[in-house]
Amino acid sequence: MTYYALLFLAGFAGSFHCIGMCGGFACALGADPRGAGATLVRHALYNTGRLTTYCFLGGLAGGLGQAICTSLGLRSDQGTSFLSASLDAGQRALAVMAGLLMIIMALSFFGLRGWHRVTSSFGSSTLVISLRSLLRRPGLAAPLALGVLNGFLPCPLVYAMVAQAASTVDVLSGCLTMAVFGLGTFPAMLAMGGLGRLLAPGWRRHGVRLAGAFILVMGVITLSRGVVPMASHGLHHLWHLA
Amino acid sequence: MTPCPDTLCRHCLLPVGRRGFARTVNGEGCQFCCYGCCIAHQVKSGSGDASEAAWFLVRLGVGSFLSMNIMLFSLLVYSGAFSGADRRVLPTIQLLLWGLATPAVLILGEPFLRETWLQARQGRLTSSALIVLGSLAAYAYSTLAMFQPGGHLYFDTASMVLMLFTLGRYLEAAGRARASRDLAPLLAAESELATVVEGAQEHRRPVREVHAGMLIRVRPGERIPVDGLIVEGSSHTDEAVITGESRQIAKAVGAAVLAGSINLDGPLLIRSSGAGGESRWAQICRSVRDALRQSSRTQRIADRLVGAFVPIVLALAAMTLVYWMQRLPLDQAMLTALSVLVVACPCAVGLAAPMAHSLGIGQLARHGCLVRSPGALEALACTRLIAFDKTGTLTLGRPKLVDLASDGVGEAEVLARLAGLERHSEHGLAHAIAMAAIARGVKPIVAGNVRIVPGRGLRGVVHGESVAAGSAALMCELGWRLPRALSERAEEMASTGHSVVFVGWSENARAGRARAVLSFDDTPLPEAGATIDALRCLGLRVTLLSGDHAGAAARVAATVGVDEWQAGLLPEAKRAALDQYRARHGAIAMVGDGLNDGPGLASADVGIAVGTATDLARETADLVLPVDGLWLLPWVVCRARAVRSTILANLAWAFGYNLIALTCAVFGLLQPILAAAVMAGSSLLVVLNSLRLERLPGPSYPSTLQSTGAAQAASEPQLREQGQRRELALIKAES
Repeated sequence: MTYYALLFLAGFAGSFHCIGMCGGFACALGADPRGAGATLVRHALYNTGRLTTYCFLGGLAGGLGQAICTSLGLRSDQGTSFLSASLDAGQRALAVMAGLLMIIMALSFFGLRGWHRVTSSFGSSTLVISLRSLLRRPGLAAPLALGVLNGFLPCPLVYAMVAQAASTVDVLSGCLTMAVFGLGTFPAMLAMGGLGRLLAPGWRRHGVRLAGAFILVMGVITLSRGVVPMASHGLHHLWHLA
Repeated sequence: MTPCPDTLCRHCLLPVGRRGFARTVNGEGCQFCCYGCCIAHQVKSGSGDASEAAWFLVRLGVGSFLSMNIMLFSLLVYSGAFSGADRRVLPTIQLLLWGLATPAVLILGEPFLRETWLQARQGRLTSSALIVLGSLAAYAYSTLAMFQPGGHLYFDTASMVLMLFTLGRYLEAAGRARASRDLAPLLAAESELATVVEGAQEHRRPVREVHAGMLIRVRPGERIPVDGLIVEGSSHTDEAVITGESRQIAKAVGAAVLAGSINLDGPLLIRSSGAGGESRWAQICRSVRDALRQSSRTQRIADRLVGAFVPIVLALAAMTLVYWMQRLPLDQAMLTALSVLVVACPCAVGLAAPMAHSLGIGQLARHGCLVRSPGALEALACTRLIAFDKTGTLTLGRPKLVDLASDGVGEAEVLARLAGLERHSEHGLAHAIAMAAIARGVKPIVAGNVRIVPGRGLRGVVHGESVAAGSAALMCELGWRLPRALSERAEEMASTGHSVVFVGWSENARAGRARAVLSFDDTPLPEAGATIDALRCLGLRVTLLSGDHAGAAARVAATVGVDEWQAGLLPEAKRAALDQYRARHGAIAMVGDGLNDGPGLASADVGIAVGTATDLARETADLVLPVDGLWLLPWVVCRARAVRSTILANLAWAFGYNLIALTCAVFGLLQPILAAAVMAGSSLLVVLNSLRLERLPGPSYPSTLQSTGAAQAASEPQLREQGQRRELALIKAES
């Protein structure tokens, strides 16, 4: 459970970072003239769309991890006794990669910003321009679509979580990883829609640091799962026990 | 509703071509080259509530929502999450999948279906037919399989294939629109509105309705719509579109402004000096539009291949289905055939050349270099030899006084009389003499009774004494003595290719004598040497073909650093010389001033005119550089090569990728969803590879020549960076 709590906290802290970009969308989505109920529906749909995208990415990443491990396992299939060992090796390789990615991204939260430029060039500007036109559209489909597409906005936080999901090597776990993370972003995003104003920049900076710290911790744990083969089982137990 | 194949797509400004279609956006008929452009344009031009504008994005968003859910549940089913005890929920999950897939297929598939239907009615099969066939087959099979216990469902395939293709097309269109950003100001001349001031009122009118004499108001940041003179206000302008140089030029009341230049910082009121549709900017606009409509040979070949591709792929898919049906269960065989259909979609091939062309043409045009056709760019990239005309191309085209030798009289005395006399002449040398007199502060003495002696020179009367200027023959005819020192000097001058003029006058009504000899020369352009060096560095051979006599050609060749030259060539001889070079070196380019060497430019593979003064519409050159734009030539060659290598890389990638993926699909090694992702990725890669052209550096004026040139070159990237920053700020402010 600690694992999921950590993810939830990372989502919660990280969402203060999200407020800069996605919070803008939540604000602009604004209140529905037909009353508080309709406003709530609008924002719920928007967040559902976002959550769906996250879950999808998580499930896909988990499935991809699973596929890679399985194919690695099949390729080095020289005897049945090796199968489980090589499966373990593939999983470890994935864990190392995911851990490293997460650590790099966590560091980018602390000011090493090289990564941000790569992600926010072509893709995001195209998406942002597209999304803007959805904001003021009436009806229930538009907020949903906005949420879905918003989920694809390049964001290092999401990438880090997707890396984590890939290292779970299971569709369901990957999906759950992202779902919990997405739920963690709900309070702040819903509050954004309700309050309708941006948080003070100082708070946002703290949120970013905090999110970075959580991702760093998770990255280190994920990395150690891959690097320390002896500890991997022990850690695994700890993981599930906790 | 059938679009004309040579109009340009409203969104990405590429030619609409045969697969284009028309839609009405915001009450205005628009032509688009593909579905993606149609969505992207509607999204971009939509003013929020305008009903249809954002509809496409909503369609994409809701479709993605449905198909992602389908995918998620299908993945869970595949990964065995519902095995064992949870097995009894499987039928419910299947029903759920069907409930999600039906609207998804309807929402996402409708545009593809409509495109297929419209094209099929005209007897054509396009790539969207492959997508429709593939996804409908998967959907229909899965719906039937639901009623059989243990049947596999492929709703995820049906919806994901559609979603990935919709997404791929949308991103592709967004990329293409970005590529055409450079072109937009060049194509704006025809649609631009001008603020016409009539009395106390101001009206917005199309530029083509502006006539000479109208008053136009131009606000800071706006583009000046017509050529004219400033009546009120002062500002700085940037004339990069016309002259190729991006720098600020101060303009005050009475200064001439050019259509197409940008008014940077002050409001201006200008009086139009010509019709709006006749400015050079409007001509450039028409020329660029024409160039974009044409297709190069590479592109025509690619298009033909794509046309032949679709029926072949259909046949291949059918064969695959039949083959695998004998070895595998029906659903597996169908999936394999489906992968074949999906993976063969040749979108990237059709995109390979046009996008690189439009990027290349746009960037060249932004620096004032006009390309007549995309084929010219590709030909220039293959060129191994560049032939230059001399006069007006490598030289200023205006003779200059370089030497004056006198016999017993002062220089000022000679120039004063000569300048007075030459005022009555329109010969090319007359201007040089007037300039020399001004430069030395000599006041011309008024000459009377001036007569021109055809082919010899001219004579007149100054202070009651007769004065003559011209060739040695003129002096002889007049019976005037030619001092030996002067004639020897003249011979020396003539032998090095200078034009020589004798000046003489009579004294006290006695027979005159020649008193001075002047030599004139056409000086090489300051940037000629650096340009030739740069071209040689690019691996090009450089040669000089001159109509002038050998001495002059040899001297200019030596000054600018050309080893090979031919002189005394008539236009016909130039053409023959070009043919000879072509036989030896392959494709050749000829650079001229566009006035005297029309036949030469026309007979070269690529004719390049520098600073042509003639009407652009009548210009025969394939490539037109701006006035004083010789220094841009090496950059243009680099650009042309970059465009060509991008196209080749794109084609190699698109074809290679398609063939490999197709092979994999035929042998059943590729999942349909993966195949769709691979294809969408392939188009996106072609787009991104073409967009790399954007990042090549702009032209920089040879730094050895002028410090201002260097400063300007340095300021250019800075300006661009500022532009980007402004764009980002805008995005931030609005989101």
